[in-house]
Formats: sequence, C-alpha cells, structure tokens
Amino acid sequence: MIDAIPMGETLYELAIVVLIVFGLFFTFVSAMGVLRLPDIYSRAHTASQTDTLGAGLALAAVALALGWQQATVYTVLLLFFVFITNPTAAHAIARSAAESGIEPWTKDSESEEGESK
Amino acid sequence: MIPGEFAINDLFLGAAALFIVLAIMMFYRAVMGPTTQDRLLAVNVLGTNTVVILALLAAGLDEPWFLDIALIYALLNFLMAVAISKFTVERGGVL
Amino acid sequence: MAAERVLVPLSDTVTVRQTVGYAVQSGLESGEELHCHLVVALPHEADLPESRQLTEEAAELLSKAKNWVREDAGSASVTVETSLLGTDEYLFGPRDFAGAFDDYAKEHDIDTVILDPEYQPGATAQMLQSIERELDAVGLAYDEAPVERPARHERLVGDGTEHFDRLFATFWISYAFYLVLGDPTYWFDLVTGAAVAGIVSVSLAHITFTFPLDRVQSPIRTVRFAFYIPYLIYEIVKANLAISIVILRPSMPIDPTMARVNARVRSGLPLLALANSITLTPGTLTVRADDQRLIVHTLIPSAREDLFDGALERAVRFVFHGREAAAIATPRERGDTEVLGGDDR
Repeated sequence: MIDAIPMGETLYELAIVVLIVFGLFFTFVSAMGVLRLPDIYSRAHTASQTDTLGAGLALAAVALALGWQQATVYTVLLLFFVFITNPTAAHAIARSAAESGIEPWTKDSESEEGESK
Repeated sequence: MIPGEFAINDLFLGAAALFIVLAIMMFYRAVMGPTTQDRLLAVNVLGTNTVVILALLAAGLDEPWFLDIALIYALLNFLMAVAISKFTVERGGVL
Repeated sequence: MAAERVLVPLSDTVTVRQTVGYAVQSGLESGEELHCHLVVALPHEADLPESRQLTEEAAELLSKAKNWVREDAGSASVTVETSLLGTDEYLFGPRDFAGAFDDYAKEHDIDTVILDPEYQPGATAQMLQSIERELDAVGLAYDEAPVERPARHERLVGDGTEHFDRLFATFWISYAFYLVLGDPTYWFDLVTGAAVAGIVSVSLAHITFTFPLDRVQSPIRTVRFAFYIPYLIYEIVKANLAISIVILRPSMPIDPTMARVNARVRSGLPLLALANSITLTPGTLTVRADDQRLIVHTLIPSAREDLFDGALERAVRFVFHGREAAAIATPRERGDTEVLGGDDR
C-alpha cells in the first residue's frame, strides 16, 4: 500500500506523525509535571510552557494535515492565541498565588514534604 | 480517497484519545489540588487540552467547523483563568 | 514672610498646564515670594540610545513650563528653577520616583509638592502603582492640583495625527481579523466587517495602544518581531527538552528559587513581550512584574543562569529599539539580579 504513494507524500505524513508524537510527548511531560511537582509555582512551569509547546506541535500537525484551505488559517490563529494567552494565564495564576501568600517550595523544605508523601 | 488518508485520519483520532487520557490524569490535580490556584491551573491546562482535542477531531473527522468552537473555547479559557485569579486576590472586588 | 518653595514634577499630560498654573497661584497665596522648582524625572538612564529623544523632549517641556510660570506670575516675584532627575541613576517604579523627589526636596528645602493627578513619568505607559501611595510612604507632603480633565486621556502633543494613527491601526487589525474568520469575497461579510471594525476602533483604540504609534518605527518593529519568533521558538524547544529530562527523572532534581531581575525595557508592550517570553521559556516563570522589577520563579539552576545572562532581554530590546540598543551589559554585569529567599514580600 505504502509503495503506491509517492515519496513526497510519505515525507509529508512523516512530518505529521513526528509533530503529533512530540506534541503527545510534551503534553505527557506536562501532565507528569502537574502531578509530580511539589508546589503551585513549579506546577505552573510545566502547565504553561511544556503544555503550550505540546499543544502548539499538535496544532501544527493539524494545520499541516488540513493543507491549504481556510480552516488552516483558523488553526494558525488558534496556535497564535495559545502561545499568547497561556503564559499570560499562568502569570495571572502565579501572581494570584503570590498575593494570597503561598510560600514557594524550596529544597530546604524537602524533608517536610517527604513526610507527607 | 486514497488509502494513506485513512491512516492519517486514524492517527488524529488516536492522538485525540491519548490527549483525553492525559486530560483525565490532569483532572486529578483539579480535584485534589490543595489550593484554589492549583485547581485553576489544572482547569486551565484542561482547557488547552480540550482545544487541542477539538482541533485533532476536526482534522480526524474532517469537520473543519470544530475549529470555530476551539477558537472560542481558547479565548473563553483564557478569560476564565484571568478572571478567577483576579477574583481570588480581590475577593468580592470588581473583576 | 518667608518664601514659599514648591516642587512641581512635570510630565507630558493634558493637565500639566493647569497644574503649573495651580502651583503658581497657590504658592503666591501662601507666601510673598515663590521659588518654583520644575523637574522632569526620566525613567531611564539618559545615555541609553532610545532615551536620547526622551531627554530632548524633557528639556523642551521644561522650557515651555518655565514660560507658563512667567505668564501666570505676572508682576509677583517668582523664581524658577528647572532640573532633570534620573539622569545619573536608574529609576524603576513609582517608589524610585518618589524617592528621587524626596531627595530633591530635602536638598532644596521644598515646602510642598504639587502633583499633577495625571502624572506619568516618561510618558510611555501607565505606571502599575500609584505614585501617591509611594509619596505617602516616604513622608513627602504633596498637594494634588485640582484640574479639569477631559473625558478621554489624550496626550497634549501631536494629538490629531496620533489619534488617527491609532484608529487606523485598530481598524485594519480588527477588519483583517473579521475577514479571516469570515469570507473575504462575500459582500455581506465585507460590509458587516467594516461596521464592526469601525465600532471597535472608535471605542477601543485608546485601550489597544497605550503608547503613541510611530509611522516609521511600528512597521519596522513588526518586521523585527517576525525575526524574533524563530529565535524564541528555538529557545522554547531547547529549554523544554531540558525541563522534560528533569521531570521524567525519577529523582526529579529540581531547585526552585525566586529571583529578581531588573529589566531594562519600558513598561507596556515591551515589558509584556519580555515577561511573556520569560514565562514561555520553561524553567522560568514571571510571578510579578512591578514596572521594570520582575520577580521570576526559576525551576532549575541552568534556567536561572540563562535568565541572568539576559539573552531574551537583549532580543526584546532589539525588537523595540533596534540593533544598537540590544548591545547592553547582561543583568548579571549590571548587578540587577538577586536571588530571593523564601520570604520576599
């Protein structure tokens, strides 16, 4: 079956597959980070950035698959919005955490953290 | 339709399914998160994932109008995160 | 009766003329003689490339204000002194401005400060905190000039073309966005889009662009920003891989700390761009941005080193001020960095 498809087509599909796999990988890292990291500030790191990259790669795969049509413009817009809004939202959340007086977790408080685990 | 396209569509659907699994993992933090901000963060990430899932479904099912919903959802998700994090600081204040 | 000494901080606002008038009037009421000190505080070091123009504008404002005082004083005995503050130090937020005014007041035996209610040093973007609160904190007596404000906060100079530029830019951006979502070849979408973009630009132009647009500089900035994006993506991917390795290691060797960096970019859009870029690069997360003082949470030491090397800051300066401005010392060399302990507040 694959033999029937020209070389360019395979490369194109390969690009989509690679983008999706990396997108999934980074989103997985983000999920692991949100579950494993000790406090709100460090969770915000993975939640905002790694997830943004994961989402960005997945959206890029979608844009590539859709090819040249109007829906692709939507996807690019979506990508743009995700990249602008995600860090801003993470900043808003971290700032709100700082203002409600949540202390950042440091290496020194690791021992206490260990007990609660 | 050429056979290759079926494979790509299935790939998108499979990726969407995996994204849903990851979203369920994040849901743990949304439910358990010790502080309001933790929950907010998890919900925000869930929102981003929902946008991605919608986009993947749009490509996988060949329904481009799903992207309209994804676009609106991304903007609403951003607004939600900013509004609630502002609200937790100035509780009862004007948003 | 002793001479009254007043300090009037000036900035380029609609109400600055009325403030000077009030300062002269109230000063002459309470004393026979008036020493009027007019100062302009510059928010940046004067030797930075992009602030040369600011310095010139400030000097111009001072000479204008001097004439206003002469006009208002009439035959009364008024002496005017003018001065530029902040040329040899780096003023960050309202706290530094209040401190600079306080130093000046002590040095010249000032009785009271007349504050313009619209006061904005540097005439760039809105300050994030009110200067009144900081003046209270340093214990400097101030009097707010009772001025009549126009409904819209427009700047005094270059009013007409500036207003038009903002409307023009907002109109086309919103129109383009509308047509991207709609169908650019369908007449109905073209008409409704024009109507919607008209409403948006009239009502929101002043919110969208808080700083004056420059007909030459703004398009150049957009082009430079396009060059910045690939660099940013490269940084994001690189740092993301580093973070992924750390998180996926079972031992998870993280070392979270709060750090403070004083960024040399202006408030408003440049600061937003820098803060968002810092947040987008994994391992660093902007927690607070009080004017140019950024509180950044860093997850791993290498990310902190990168932050202190200031590559992103230089890139943002390149986008907004050109190649010449990008070549500045790193925050570490300037001594603008600090690792904060657990209790930073």
